[in-house]
Amino acid sequence: MALLEVQDLHTRFRTEDGMVKAVSGVSFELDRGETLGVVGESGSGKSVTFLTVMGLVDPRQAEMAGSVRFDDKEILGLTTHGLKGIRGKRIGMIFQDPMTSLNPVKRIGWQLEEAVLIHNDVPRKEARRRALEVLEEVEIPKADTRMDDYAHQFSGGMRQRVMIAMALINQPELLIADEPTTALDVTTQAQILRLIGKLQKDHGMAVVMITHDLGVVAELANDVIVMYGGRIVEDAKVDDLFEKPEMPYTWGLLGSLPRVDVDVERLEQIPGQPPSLLRPPPGCAFNPRCAYVFDRCRTELPELRAAEGKDDHHFRCHLDGADRARIWTQKAAAIARGESAA
Amino acid sequence: MTQFLIRRTFWALFLFIAASMVTYILFFIIPSDPAALSAGKASTPAIVNHIRMELGLNLPIYQQYWDFVWNIVRHGNFGRSFVNGTPVRTFLEHEIPVTASIVFGGVIVYLAIAIPTGIISALRPRSIMDRLGMVFVLIGISAPSVWVGIMLLYLVGFRLGWTPINGYCSLQSSHQLGTCGGFWPWMSHLILPWITLAVGSAALYTRLIRANVMETMSEDYVRTARAKGASPQRVLVQHVLRNSMLQVVTILGMDLGLLLGGVVFIEIVFSLPGLGQQILLAYGRFDLPVIVGITMFACLAVIVFNFLVDVLYAWLDPRIRLS
Amino acid sequence: MSELLVVEDLQKYFPVTRGLVFQKAIAQVKAVDGVSFTVEAGQTLGVVGESGCGKSTMARCIARLLEPTGGKIIFDGRDITHLGNQDMRMIRREMMMVFQDPYASLNARKRVGAIIAEPLEVHDIGSAADRKRRVQELLEIVGLNPEHYNRFPHEFSGGQRQRIGIARALSINPKLIICDEPVSALDVSVQAQILNLLKDLQRDFDLTYVFIAHDLNVVRHVSDRVMVMYLGRPVETGSSKELYAAPKHPYSGALLSAVPIADPKLGRAREQIVLEGDVPSPINPPAACRFHPRCPRFVDGKCNVDEPVMTRAPGASDHEYACHFPLEHWPMGEGELRRAGAVAQEPAPAASFD
Repeated sequence: MALLEVQDLHTRFRTEDGMVKAVSGVSFELDRGETLGVVGESGSGKSVTFLTVMGLVDPRQAEMAGSVRFDDKEILGLTTHGLKGIRGKRIGMIFQDPMTSLNPVKRIGWQLEEAVLIHNDVPRKEARRRALEVLEEVEIPKADTRMDDYAHQFSGGMRQRVMIAMALINQPELLIADEPTTALDVTTQAQILRLIGKLQKDHGMAVVMITHDLGVVAELANDVIVMYGGRIVEDAKVDDLFEKPEMPYTWGLLGSLPRVDVDVERLEQIPGQPPSLLRPPPGCAFNPRCAYVFDRCRTELPELRAAEGKDDHHFRCHLDGADRARIWTQKAAAIARGESAA
Repeated sequence: MTQFLIRRTFWALFLFIAASMVTYILFFIIPSDPAALSAGKASTPAIVNHIRMELGLNLPIYQQYWDFVWNIVRHGNFGRSFVNGTPVRTFLEHEIPVTASIVFGGVIVYLAIAIPTGIISALRPRSIMDRLGMVFVLIGISAPSVWVGIMLLYLVGFRLGWTPINGYCSLQSSHQLGTCGGFWPWMSHLILPWITLAVGSAALYTRLIRANVMETMSEDYVRTARAKGASPQRVLVQHVLRNSMLQVVTILGMDLGLLLGGVVFIEIVFSLPGLGQQILLAYGRFDLPVIVGITMFACLAVIVFNFLVDVLYAWLDPRIRLS
Repeated sequence: MSELLVVEDLQKYFPVTRGLVFQKAIAQVKAVDGVSFTVEAGQTLGVVGESGCGKSTMARCIARLLEPTGGKIIFDGRDITHLGNQDMRMIRREMMMVFQDPYASLNARKRVGAIIAEPLEVHDIGSAADRKRRVQELLEIVGLNPEHYNRFPHEFSGGQRQRIGIARALSINPKLIICDEPVSALDVSVQAQILNLLKDLQRDFDLTYVFIAHDLNVVRHVSDRVMVMYLGRPVETGSSKELYAAPKHPYSGALLSAVPIADPKLGRAREQIVLEGDVPSPINPPAACRFHPRCPRFVDGKCNVDEPVMTRAPGASDHEYACHFPLEHWPMGEGELRRAGAVAQEPAPAASFD
């Protein structure tokens, strides 16, 4: 039985201009100890999906529907009280910007202790000991003195380590990381990703890595879901996704990446911009930007279906198998040769 | 932090000197003859001249200013009123407690209203409570304090007779005839003035607190606290309030300083013998020493409270405290 | 090919002041501390580095938005380092900048047409009618609808706003455009549009670019030559092909290695070099080689004593690096990097007896 099972999740925000359909029917499963990569650009719904899972979306501002089962218990719609013992204890979450995500006027040690004391009825001394332990685990030098420092006294990479420590202090079974390295330098990013990988192994945690960076996903994830316009448009095992992606958006993403190892003359570009979630395009959300669009795409939303012969690889596209295979083979060859994949 | 404090202290001192200079010099620019004023209407040029020499008005400005400052610093002597010769210091001694009672009491009342209202409004935006609160805010900001004061005086003091309608009682029990004293008399004379003061300011502070709390609630670190599993109460008390109150403290400090200079309307409507009422009288009679004395006190209040606010802010925000 | 931009030993220091009343400088932030490079006309120089390396400060010095503390900037044969405002006006017609944040670099209260036309107005070029025509022309060149010149910036997406910024930079036909992280704030699918656009414009209008970014993939794609900076100094410069294929400086190697590869099999196969520690502050840079505290090849007694100078790589005429123990080949894993450093250790001196 999967650790996290999400079925047909919908999240719609009520705004003055209308309903913003941030998440429209997302379903996936995550097993214990596995890493799920969630890829998408702005407006794809990747962050909102997991904020909904954690119950961090304000029910006064949004309508949520569907099912979220954690360890076979339904958690969608529960209040903070109902989520006691789960949020912050069995599921931890870290966010993108560690500077703004830490309370600027409380010492780091206090914030870490708080994480322990919320969930465990232990004396403060014990909480402090645990905090020290976890700070050392995330490789913060001189942890015992640094416990009494404030967020602004740490560098960006160190702050993110503190955030990770805070999420891990209660030994969660699942860690949700929302763009944890986007705000960091590239060498710091490498450190943090390596740290997350190590901690995952040491603790046997499942990890959800939300990112826009396909490289990060390629390095860390076992399974990947690609999101666009509030929906999953492709999901597959990581090797499969990069070897044989099955729909135009993923092709576009892969083709538009400038690469360090290959010289590409002209990048493939996806024209236009990500869709409005207020008034999404009818039919397939990607249709205004798709180079292979035809009439059916503009009226009928494609269902998520399995790729030929691979029942763990799904995608949303009306194109038939033969066409898709042909197009991708051409593109992949072009990319390998260093030509534009367009 | 000590560097910060030292620098702020110097700055406060400097400001006070500058303010006192400007105040003093202003009165030399105003076309008037203090000696003649002091002498009164029925006086001869000889008397006026004599008074001029006595007041030292024939000395150069900087000498007069220096004497003035020296008098204050060394003897606590602010001069004497032109009108009746009473030392200005006496006025200050009697009137500062009155104005202070009005201001501090009023501040406590309006904070007691504004803080809960502001927080509840922020926690339940667009709810009925919030909308009612905003209507109240609108009324409070729009209604002139004079009108509010008079209405209260009439309705509560006169018609209902629940409170006295004028005058001031000191906190200490008095044993003299013709004066009143004691805690309850003091309070009963001040309740309506407090409410009047509160109506306008509570509105402003409610809005301020509401905005600050709402903004703080949407900060990333509040989201982190929730992600840690903190209960809404804990999030509110430990994470939201401390941060959102910073700005309120700043503005409160500035307001206190300004108000201590004289809550004129309230003092007049309720016949409370405070600084505001006094300085108005002094303007009418061109009683320079009194004007200068009260103005100096007002400047001092503003400077001191701004200084305190700076210090408090620096202490509360570790980013400043530790730099 | 002529050299359009020559920078010699550029320095920019910011004083750190302390003092109660009179602020005196107790230290310097050496944001840019001796940068030299040349850019040929029609080429793109990519400048890459992490936070604190000084690349943005350097860009602003070249554009004279900041006054250099030392060094020389020679633009189109003319020394512009300390030119007065009047003379800089003429130079500014030839040198424009595109900035990182498409949301902040456009005045939200101005219409897009006015924003693009502003450089033309400032330099008094053409009549109002001419300018309008030029604005519409530019909108089309950057791929936007010319009819939209009366719209406000908030009506456009991030990528579109960046195009507006580029149109503005192009308006007066500059020779050099300095791009300071122009695609960092954009979505991946939109990045490619802007990068392609920049390349097309370079070809069509014979532009020269100085392209600053922290994303190595992006820099490689647009640059002919690349300069890697660390703590205010360049550590390696070379053609992008060569530098990416065979970096010589350990920091360049570490940077390249840190970039996640969008190919799971390749990613698993390689041994990533992960540096330790954080990027240090430019207030107190380490002695001698600035990279030595984090360098896997660090050799005590050499790297922290002798400052390495820029050396030409054998064979390649324009590949330079500043390192005592450059990488012999590439790719190299972290283990191999460290071993090479240990091997280069000199034997300990014989103990001395009193």
